[in-house]
Amino acid sequence: MSRLHPDEERRSFAEEADSLWRIAFGPLIWSAHFLLCYVGAALVCARLGGTEATLAWLRLGIGGVTVLALAGIAWVGWQAWRQWDFLDDYDHVHDRAVAEDRHEFLGHASFLLAVISFVGVVYVALPAAFGVGCQ
Amino acid sequence: MTEGRPPRCSSMAAVGATAILAGCAGQQSALDPAGREALVLADLFWVLLCGAIVLWLLVNALFLYVTRINPRPLSRRLAETLIIGGGVVFPTVLLGILLGYALSIMPEQRAAGTGLTVRITGEQWWWRIEYLPEDGGAPVVSANELRLPKGQRTEIELAAARVIHSFWIPNLAGKMDMIPGRATRMALEPTRTGTFRGQCAEFCGMSHALMAFQVVVQEPADFAVWLAREGGPAVRPADDRAARGQDVFMAEGCAACHAIRGTPAKGTVGPDLTHVGGRATLAAGTLPNTEQAFAEWLAETDQIKPGVTMPTYHHLDPTALADLAHYLNGLH
Repeated sequence: MSRLHPDEERRSFAEEADSLWRIAFGPLIWSAHFLLCYVGAALVCARLGGTEATLAWLRLGIGGVTVLALAGIAWVGWQAWRQWDFLDDYDHVHDRAVAEDRHEFLGHASFLLAVISFVGVVYVALPAAFGVGCQ
Repeated sequence: MTEGRPPRCSSMAAVGATAILAGCAGQQSALDPAGREALVLADLFWVLLCGAIVLWLLVNALFLYVTRINPRPLSRRLAETLIIGGGVVFPTVLLGILLGYALSIMPEQRAAGTGLTVRITGEQWWWRIEYLPEDGGAPVVSANELRLPKGQRTEIELAAARVIHSFWIPNLAGKMDMIPGRATRMALEPTRTGTFRGQCAEFCGMSHALMAFQVVVQEPADFAVWLAREGGPAVRPADDRAARGQDVFMAEGCAACHAIRGTPAKGTVGPDLTHVGGRATLAAGTLPNTEQAFAEWLAETDQIKPGVTMPTYHHLDPTALADLAHYLNGLH
């Protein structure tokens, strides 16, 4: 079993550390979207009176934020999909203590989190799409 | 040969289904709708129930197929298709459709009332009910029994005095929280006349389970007659016993907490008793409205409704207690 050169090992570790951060990006975008939608709705309903005009702006804002969030999560998901590299070996078990398995495991986990974050963002935005008012 | 055989399975199933469905009816059942909102909610329940049954049958049929009928290992491709398709894509899309449907009916469910407005305040453990006239005049104050006109959309303003309650008449609509310091609202649109039962649906203290109320849905003309009468003063004591009961009421200080319009009693701490004898129940749906129940309530208040702030009057001699009960029961 060949050992990596110390520089390569450091670089590989730094890459994994980065992807460890990226694993949280999907849920982070989801939570930021959730907060923006609910804080925005609370402000419009409680402070701006929840009139038709302000609600129209709120729906537009939620629509814009949702598109941005979905695009961000799609990008995170695509990066994670590439890191998982599923189509290379159709491998979804990463239980060996080797760099490749750690690398693919982080991509796999990040991809699944991106999928659930995508669905979560769509569900959070649906009330705005169906014209639900402040009541 | 059929004689002596046990009933066939289909007959037994029909009897069982009839018995179960009969249990859905009643004065406090969301599955026996008598209001516009409740009709939509009941439809939603039946659609979801049918969907759940179909899903249950499909999952179990699949399970039977792969474990008994064709117990060969599945190809990886088929297994992954089943897991991703049946475990991720299908539930996500189905939940999305159901969420969309629920959201699409929400604006109509929350539509404002168009006629009468009723303000209901959750107390511990009873309901203060005020009918607000459209001309802005003084409200018609009542308690523990809500009357509504059939076919009209009545706006309901909800409030709470000290702790959170939840206002729920299953036959007419869904629940709505009553929160101290905040105004919440809903609208009720009964579709048929009848008597229904409401119940506090949020734990609010020791006697939460005893915080119920009657809802009487009347034809609009009958309701108008009732409301005009409800807004009027109390009837005068009809006989000597009732007159003595009124004296006991005043002497014992009941007037400090209860109002009886047309008398010096103007308390607002407890339920308005101007027409208490005309309600179907006592103590917020806890007792039937009879003279005997009145006497029991006055003598054993804290035993019938633990934690209640109203003092007991067990120190009264039985004659005075009976007179007081007779007077109150006669306040139609």
